[in-house]
Amino acid sequence: MPAIGEAIYFRNKVSWQSPIPAAELVRVDRARSWGDNVIWVDARPDNEFERDHIPGAILLNEDHWNELLPQFLGQWSPERKVVVYCSAQSCNASREVAKRLREEAQLKNVFVLDGGWEEWLKNKR
Amino acid sequence: MIGIVALTALAQAARSELKWEQTSVDLKPALGDKQAVAHFKYENVGNTPVHFKSVHASCGCTTAQTQNERVAPGEKGEIIATFNIGGRTGTQVKTVTVQTDDPDAARSTTVLTLKAAITPLLEIQPALVYWQNGEEPKPKVITAKANKDAAIKKLDVASSTPDFTVKVDAGSAPNEFKISVQPRDTTKAVYATLMIKPDFPNTANVFSVAARVMPPTPATKSTLSTIRHDLATPAATAASPSQ
Repeated sequence: MPAIGEAIYFRNKVSWQSPIPAAELVRVDRARSWGDNVIWVDARPDNEFERDHIPGAILLNEDHWNELLPQFLGQWSPERKVVVYCSAQSCNASREVAKRLREEAQLKNVFVLDGGWEEWLKNKR
Repeated sequence: MIGIVALTALAQAARSELKWEQTSVDLKPALGDKQAVAHFKYENVGNTPVHFKSVHASCGCTTAQTQNERVAPGEKGEIIATFNIGGRTGTQVKTVTVQTDDPDAARSTTVLTLKAAITPLLEIQPALVYWQNGEEPKPKVITAKANKDAAIKKLDVASSTPDFTVKVDAGSAPNEFKISVQPRDTTKAVYATLMIKPDFPNTANVFSVAARVMPPTPATKSTLSTIRHDLATPAATAASPSQ
């Protein structure tokens, strides 16, 4: 029964239709353990980023992709992992941004933060 | 008994129902369009008014507007969903969840779906070319594939700094361009935005990619310990120009 309920609830969410491969997902505790070797990318809309974000995160959303992408690439470095997040588990923006970074910029070591900003707040210490 | 029958009849008679013409709309915005707009038409086919309780879009990139909060029996209207395309490409699926005061739970919530197939004017890869510090400053190539419907004949590419030179040539396939980027020097860290402007009318579409010469790689722990060890030895001290 819970699975049926979940299926109905998520029926219109793209993340349900095409789940993120496990290898591309990273949990908050693991990403935090990478310390300074992480570049946090905030894929949420500008106003949500301005309200609050992970310390040091770089804004990169699809609303202003053309303008924000070069700014991000100016701060990227090959030895650091990239972790992209959006609002919550159900949002799709982080997955899309991560996919475009892999395909368009041909970056390696790009991950999606499992649970997004919501999960970060729960694990905030 | 008569009272129960009368109440049942009354309950059946007093009915509100919002009937949607369609709950899913497929859109194909034209090249360079900034927005995609979907119209979801409805009619109250019941005999009591329907009130909208909430209209909620699935993402901040989509707005949805109702014409009226109250829909009278027999009244028609529409919810207009506007999807701001921004820099998105490919198939985009956005939803608008509409809640009404319909006492029938099955009818009180409706999910409207807007699907937009967005074809980019240019597909550029890679969006970043970089050289390691000290690497030979050989040219690197960025490929730009123009949408075949756009009939783009020319690309103007300019670097934001004089640290890189750029050259545009026709690619091996039709509608393809090769942008050759070369740093003047790879001994210092530099960064430039390359602005790519196609000769496409009626839009101000400018695409941006990046070119970089990376800073020198930070010394690793083992390298540092080797350096410290060398400095501590008499030979290293003697070789030091400051001694």
